[in-house]
Parts: sequence; C-alpha cells; structure tokens
Amino acid sequence: MDEWKPNPTIKPHKKRSWYLAWKYKLMNQRALRKLCQTGAVLFLLVTVIVNIKLILDTRRAAYEEEEESAQDYDDEMLNVEVPRHPVSNKKVLDVEVYSSRSKVYVAVDGTTVLEDEAREQGRGIHVIVLNQATGHVMAKRVFDTYSPHEDEAMVLFLNMIARGRILIFTIKDEGSFHLKDTAKNVLKSLGSQVAPFLSWRDMWTFVGKKGGEVYGEKHAKSPALSTWGDPVLLKTEVHLTSVEDAECHWPDTELNRRRKRFCSKVEGYGSVCSCKDPTPIEFNPDPLKDNKVFDVPVAVIAGNRPNYLYRMLRSLLSAQGVNPQMITVFIDGYYEEPMDVVELFGLSGIQHTPISIKNARVSQHYKASLTATFNLFPDAKFAVVLEEDLDISVDFFSFLSQSIHLLEEDESLYCISAWNDQGYEHTAEDPSLLYRVETMPGLGWVLRKTLYKDELEPKWPTPEKLWDWDMWMRMPEQQKGRECIIPDISRSYHFGIVGLNMNGYFHEAYFKKHKFNTVPNVQLKNVESLRKDAYETEIHRLLGEAEVLDHSKNPCEDSFVPDTEGRVYVMFIKMEQEADFTTWTQLAKCLHIWDLDVRGNHKGLWRLFRKKNHFLVVGVPASPYSSKKPSSVTPIYMEPPAKEEGAVAVPAVAAAEQT
Amino acid sequence: MQKINKNVVLALLSLTSLVFLLFQLYYYKFYLSQKNGAVFSKVRGSKSGQDSTRWHVVRKFLGLISSHNIPVYLIDPLILGLVDKDIEQIRTSPDGPSPECKYFCAPRDFTTFALLDKTWKHEVGLFRTAEKMGFQWLKIINKDPRLDGMDDLSGIEIPLHYIFKLASHAIHLVVFYERSGNYLWHGPLRLKQHMDRKFVPFRKLHFGRYPGAYEKPELLLVSIDDLKVQIPKNPSRFLEEMSHSRFLECRYREARAFFQMYPDDASLDAVEFRKKAKSLLHLAALTLNNLGVKFWLSSGTCLGWYRQCNVIPHSKDVDLGVFIRDYRADIIPAFQKAGLPLKHKFGKVEDSLELSFQGEDDVKLDIFFFYEEDDHIWNGGTQAKSGKKFKYLFPKFTLCWTEFVELKVHVPCETLQYVEANYGADWKVPVKTWDWKSSPSNVQYNGVWPVDEWDDVIQIY
Repeated sequence: MDEWKPNPTIKPHKKRSWYLAWKYKLMNQRALRKLCQTGAVLFLLVTVIVNIKLILDTRRAAYEEEEESAQDYDDEMLNVEVPRHPVSNKKVLDVEVYSSRSKVYVAVDGTTVLEDEAREQGRGIHVIVLNQATGHVMAKRVFDTYSPHEDEAMVLFLNMIARGRILIFTIKDEGSFHLKDTAKNVLKSLGSQVAPFLSWRDMWTFVGKKGGEVYGEKHAKSPALSTWGDPVLLKTEVHLTSVEDAECHWPDTELNRRRKRFCSKVEGYGSVCSCKDPTPIEFNPDPLKDNKVFDVPVAVIAGNRPNYLYRMLRSLLSAQGVNPQMITVFIDGYYEEPMDVVELFGLSGIQHTPISIKNARVSQHYKASLTATFNLFPDAKFAVVLEEDLDISVDFFSFLSQSIHLLEEDESLYCISAWNDQGYEHTAEDPSLLYRVETMPGLGWVLRKTLYKDELEPKWPTPEKLWDWDMWMRMPEQQKGRECIIPDISRSYHFGIVGLNMNGYFHEAYFKKHKFNTVPNVQLKNVESLRKDAYETEIHRLLGEAEVLDHSKNPCEDSFVPDTEGRVYVMFIKMEQEADFTTWTQLAKCLHIWDLDVRGNHKGLWRLFRKKNHFLVVGVPASPYSSKKPSSVTPIYMEPPAKEEGAVAVPAVAAAEQT
Repeated sequence: MQKINKNVVLALLSLTSLVFLLFQLYYYKFYLSQKNGAVFSKVRGSKSGQDSTRWHVVRKFLGLISSHNIPVYLIDPLILGLVDKDIEQIRTSPDGPSPECKYFCAPRDFTTFALLDKTWKHEVGLFRTAEKMGFQWLKIINKDPRLDGMDDLSGIEIPLHYIFKLASHAIHLVVFYERSGNYLWHGPLRLKQHMDRKFVPFRKLHFGRYPGAYEKPELLLVSIDDLKVQIPKNPSRFLEEMSHSRFLECRYREARAFFQMYPDDASLDAVEFRKKAKSLLHLAALTLNNLGVKFWLSSGTCLGWYRQCNVIPHSKDVDLGVFIRDYRADIIPAFQKAGLPLKHKFGKVEDSLELSFQGEDDVKLDIFFFYEEDDHIWNGGTQAKSGKKFKYLFPKFTLCWTEFVELKVHVPCETLQYVEANYGADWKVPVKTWDWKSSPSNVQYNGVWPVDEWDDVIQIY
C-alpha cells in the first residue's frame, strides 16, 4: 500500500494540453467549428453522464463502507462487555422480598428472580447477589443454616462478594438453628440490625449493599417454639450506580477482557474478580518432557455446579503438561454459569440437552460427551474423562504420560484410573507405585477409543434403562475380566458433596481422608511390570519376600503390624470362593477404608500400606496366591456383625455412588 | 458575436467539466486505492498497479499470520496452476530470486489459503492486528458438523471461512477440520442475514459453494515471487482433488426422525452385524483405494447412509458400485489377498458384471459394475439357477464424498434419485423381506445368458 502510488495522475495534464493544441489548430477552420461545437456538446453530455455515474458509485461505495463499519461494530458488540452508558442514566430498581415458612420469593422490577415453594427443600437462608449497575442476578445461593457448617459456607461466600454488590437475603422455614455468631456478625457488618438476634423459626428479609447502604429489612419473630413467625414482605428501592463504578480497571488484555465479561455476570468466585490483585486465570504450568498425552483429548463432564467446575478447571489447568486446546467441557443442560466459567478460562464448552432422568440422564450425558470427544478429535486413540468435582494432581498428566502405552499395548487392560479406592491417608504411601485391579474406579480415567467405539457405544444403555453408566461399565458383559491400572496415591481428589448421588455424611466418611498426590514430576517405577504376565511375576516376587504376620493377633488392632517402615507384610484371610468377601469387608470396615463394595482386588489379593509398610492381604483358598500361605497359618475369618444396624440405607446410596 | 460567444461558452463549459471530470477521476483513483475495487472493477487503474497490489496484500497477509504463528498453506487454484507448470524449477531452487512477479501478480480477485484448525490456537488478537494493518475482515461461522449427528448438543459454532480485504484484493482463508475417517473437511460459505453481501464478490470464490473433503496434503515450503509460502507438495494432484471434492453431510435430522418412527435395532445381533459390516467396508475401501478404483455406496448400504446414517442391521451385506471403466482385472486377487475370497462372479466385463466376496461370518461384499449410457446408467443381475439376466436402471449421477462409519467414501450426489430409482417412493419404510429380482422398482428383465456362456458368466465358489 504505502509503496504503491497511483501513477496515472500524470496522464490528465498531458491529455489536456494535447487537447487544447488540437482545439486551437482547428479553431479557424469553419467546417470543423461546427464539428467542434457538436463535439463539445457531446463531451459535456458524456461528462454529465460520467459525473452522475460517479456520484452514484461513490455514494454506493460510501454506503457500503458505512455498512461495513456498522457490521464491524456489530461484531465488536459481542466482545464488549458492558455498553458504556452515560453516568446520568441513573435507575431505580424495585425489589420485593418475601420470607415465610413454606415459600420465599424475590422480584426485581417485577421479574421474579427467585421463587421456592417446594416442600421439604430450600430450607435456610437464600441469598441473591445483584449487579449494582445493571441489576442482573449474579449469584443465587441457599444455605441451610438449620444444619451444621452451612453458616461457614455462607460466610465464605459473602466474603467473596465484591464490594458494592447488592445483596438480598430471605429465610425459608428455618435459618437460625446453626447460624453461629461469626455468621451473625458478618450479617451485622452488612448493616443488618436484626441478624444478631435471629432466632428459631423467625422470618427475615434484608436488602443491602455490600460495604454500603441498607435498603430495607423486615423481621417477624416466632411467637412460640412450635410455630413460625408471620410471613414478611419487604418492598424497597435500590439505586443503580453507573457501570463505570461497578467495574474494575484492569489493563486491557485478552485475558482481562475474559475476566471482565465473567466478573460483570457472576459473583462468588472471590479473588478472580478482585480489582486490586486478581488471581490469574492463566497458569502456564511447566510443560512435560516427552509428553505422550499432549494430544489426548480431555472431556470434563459437568452439571450445574459452576463453583466446583471453577475449582476443578483451576487444578486441571495448573497440572504440568496440560494442553488447554484438547479440553472440552460438556455441560448437562443449558446452564449459563458453568458456561461462563468455561469461557473465563478460554476453553471450549458444549451444552447437552438433558435426556431422561436421574442416573440415566448422567448416563446419556456421558455417552454424548464421549461420542462428541472422539468426533472432535478423530485422531485420538484415547480420551481422558474427568468430572467437575475432582481436583487434579499436579503430576496427573505425567502419571498418564508414563503409563498410557500400557493401555495401547496390553489388551487385558480396561482403563487407567487416577483414583485408588483404597488409597486413604493411612493406607497409601508410595507415589511411584502402580497397581493392577479388577475393579474400575473412575474419577479421572483414560478410555481407549477402540473400546468405546467397538464395544461400549453401540450397546450403551438407552435412556429408558435407568442405569448408571459406571455400574454398566463394570458389568462382566462389558468389562470382560479386563483390569485397570491405578496409582497407590490417587492423582485425583473427589471434593464433591452436593452431587446427585452424594450426601455430606457419605463424603465425610469415604472421601475426605483420601490421599492425594501433591509431588510434581513423580517418576513411576516398574511401569513395565504392570503388563499382564509381568505383574504375576512381580506379585510372586513380592509374596516371596513378604513376612507373614502373626495371625493370632486381631488384624484390626494397630499392633497387628509391627512398628517398622518399608517392609512387606502379608496376611491371609478366609475367602471360600471368588465372590466371598465376608472377611475382607469386615477387615476393610475396621481399617476404615472403602467397605461398601469390593474394590482394589486383583485375583483375591489386596495391596495397601499400613504404618508405611506394604501390606498384602490374600484370600485363601480362592486366590491363586494361596499357595504362598505357610501350612501353619490359619486364614483369619471375621464374622459380619449379627445385627445390621440400619446399615441398609447406606449401601443403597453406595450402590448408586460409584464414581 | 453570437457564434463566438457560443464557442467561448462551450469551450469554457467543456474546460470546466473536463477539470471537474479530472478531479473526480483523481478522487476516484484515490478512493480506489483505499477501498475495495470490486465495485469499480470496470474502471480499474493500470495493470501494474493492480498487480503489485495483489502481491502486497498477500505479503502483508503472510506477515500477519506469521506474526501470530498461524500455519497456512496456499490452495489458490489459479496460482497453484501457474506454480504447477514450473514446479520442478521451484522445488529445486527454493530460495532463488524470481525475476518478475509471476504468480502473485496474476490477475484475480482473491488469493485463497488454507488453515488446519488444529494447528492454531484460536484468534487471540489476530483481528486486532489485522485491523491495525488496514485489513477488513469477515468471519463465517456455522454449526460444527462433527457434532451434527448428535441431536442434543449445542454451544459449538466453528469458524469455517475468513476473508481479509485490503484495497482491491482479498484473502480467502478456508479452515480445514480433521474428521473421523482420516480426512480434511471444509465447510460451505453461507452468509447470515446481517452480513454484508457485497463485502467481496462471494460468487467468485473458489471454495465455499459446497463443503469439501480432501486428503491430508503433504506440504512444501517454497519461495515464489520473493514470498515464502507453503503449498501442497503436489499441486496438480491437489487441483485434481479439488475438482471433485464436493462433500455431502449425512442427513442427521432426517435420520433421527426415522429412528423415532422405527426405533433402532439394538439387539446383540444387530450390534455385531454393524461391527462386521463396518470392518468389511473399511477393508474393501482400503483395498479399492490402493488399486485406485473409485467406488461408491450402492443399494442397501447407500440406503442405510441416506435414510439412517448407519448400516441397516437386517441388510446382511455390503454393497458397492464401481463404473465399468474403472474395472481392473487385479480387483479379484487384491481382495483375495486381503482375506476376502471370491464368492461368485456373474456376467462379464462387457455386460452385467457383478462380483461377490465372502467376508467374515456370512457378511457378503457385493460389487456391482455400472454401465453408462447416453441418458441413464445401469447395472446387471444374474439368477444363477436359471441364467436369467436383470437390469437395474438409474438416472445419471455424479459422485460426492461423504462420511460413513468413520470412513470417507463416495455416494451419488443425486442420492435421492438414486435411492428412489432403486427402492421406489416408499424407501423411507423399512422392508425386511427383499427380493433383488422383483422388489427393486428399477428392475427390468434382460433376457437369458446363452447356455454356452454359462460357465463364464455364472461362477460360484
């Protein structure tokens, strides 16, 4: 462009002088004068026509230019977070908040943004956060402060809200039983006068700005223990501020643009939206040398738990060797907030219309996600499957990179999983150790494409079969005796508690004390010994060197295992046939490990750690390793407790919850 | 006096209008250099100016994309055609200075480049830089066909085309996606309602009228006209491929509607048959492709693709069509080598040839050879016990690519006519009992093979 100048600009001058000369020359010739005149008239006519055409053309071009710029503008519009309205555009919001025993609702400018009159749910304090400039709902939470610890979650949440946001509170049913002083003080600091005195079955509504004015508060005291306070309805007005005031002024970068878009829409993510010192949303972990899983697609299966997803993606993107381009988040349903989280991190997300109900819905979501993953990455031989309620270990990809070739070469393998069902704080020790197990743990695992395409996808349970996908995958028809590779110390951590299949107690008992690897770059040992035949050699070697424990002692006692470190011990338990897990279940119970069904076994052998010693349990006589039992040793038999103290309910949950 | 006056007035007027006209021309020229010349193409400036504009625009574009580490390669048919003529010379002297602007100055409205989707991180900052450099750009997005087969996914629209415009020249950047079946796909260019229909003369674009399917090309870095650019290693093969690259997407929506009316057979037998048919088709495709024999999905297999985007589980065989002009004697040994013995051979090359190979567990591979006539195409059938001949008539068709069971294969572009000819207007209704001699709606009785030829034209193994 810059080098090129239109050169024909010279031409017209030449043309003109030549024309004039010619004109003068012919001037005196009478016969030609007439011709000249006609010529001149013709010329004028041509000029007029050309001029008109030019004007039209120019106008058209100018019009197009306008259109183009208008269209550029349209495109820009998508990227601009909030249109910058003049400050004078102050607006007032009418807010209505209702609190009662069986129903709560919140309406902003006549639009109901919260309505909950469902029975037996939604108890506690409902909190809504509005954007102080636009009035949009940025977060909606309910904290069942009738139950313990929920008030702590609420304090955490309220602390994360940016200053200036508008907060709306309302109680449904009961919200004070486990509302501790810390929480009451936080509410007080927001300007509530009633909060410190909230008591049993009081009704309460409050609207205020974080770190600013109070727009209204209403309270109805419960007259007696057995009754509720009268319903209260608070009507108030909230003045909106200008967009400028509601936003942070981060440097204009691509990342900050994503951040801005996110922070103007949702609340409750803490320092990511902090004006002063926002937490990074790009992590740039060290790349892995010789990363064999760089091109393996990662499917993150998500529902509507955006805060979980946020936590999960942070840990995933911080793992060494992660390749963000290979990550796809599959959201089960048209939820906006999880999608906002996905976009915040610059990842791609796909929403999936929910099909069927309950567990079958999850199943269908899994199928769609896996099919889509292999469609999107047709070259991939594997896919990593993750869920939104997992923390990912820093060496997750390093672990997979070192072991994935086994899945490719060893036909007797079903999966590689990052999760050891029996890997608790007190039973897992060695980050470089891997096992082969007959069960399929899930919770961060690798699926072979051929397995999915040739075996699983064609006969995946249809929506009307209300099956769990993972239970189905564990059925012998599917698993066909193939095993999974797992680490001793899990590379994922299951932090979820409010899932479809989970309850708080359950998580506390079975997941909280799970060990999670935090050491980077762990070099796995003996990866080759995990192949089918090599593993048998390895086990025989291990059993050969193992010391037999004193079988006269109680295996539940701590003293059962000597106070040593780094030794290998073996014990033998009674196991009449392959499916006889009576003693194992009792042992697992007293060792405080997973006992709801049998996990982590390999041909009647379990491997774990006790007191930093490798601890092997062999089921006799069902296990082929029974031959290692000295004849003097009698396998330990533990009887199940005679009375099943209402434990029926828990296994029912367990049956549903396998992931 | 009057005459003089008239003359003077006329002369003056002429002069003024001339000056005015020149001014306008100048302004116009100035405008041209800033704006796209498409509108004004009739009044283009001098040739050399325009030529160098093209070169400059291409150079700027290459600078833009290399500053963002985006690997593109040249697929412009016009330039590749010119390059192909000198390909040996270009290959041997990769850095040799070219004496003149021979390729990138060739008259044209666009220069087309290709971009592999998976080789770039999405457009962070690209368009800002482009705008700073003076480019105007247009992005055409559409649904991701890789997820189209799945009715309930959403949220993904992918960029299919980009157009960068500077002065009177435009760069058309076609985004290629890898798809199941080991091939590259580019989407059609369809303007959405709000889009500027005159941004560039879209009709003149070489890519985008239809979606297209291509092999993954081997690339070669060359220096032409002082610009370093990647081109397909074998431009003539690429151009040949381009001429019949049209791709048809399976009719996923209709297939879903079909399955709603006739739920899919999910029995173990059906799953097994589909698996076998798929691997048989993969093997057949590999064998025929190695021989360079062009084939397409025919009969029941074609119907399965068209109606339900899958193998029909009760069809019990795999049917392919091949033009008789593509017949090669080594087809039979090649299949035998691939582990598919010949089951029967009917007819002869001159008439009604049909080959049948035995796949795994009773799944049969039928290859029908098609004979082209002036106004129709036909293939033949033979009844073994009676020696009766049958003829199946089809309207003329051309071949398009499609994706079927993770394979890039040909189907007749005019699939509906093809299927209707074969299965009649009721092709949408599944039929389990099918007699190849009477059921097809396009079957004609075609006489009987002379008895003395039977040994040749009816071979059963």
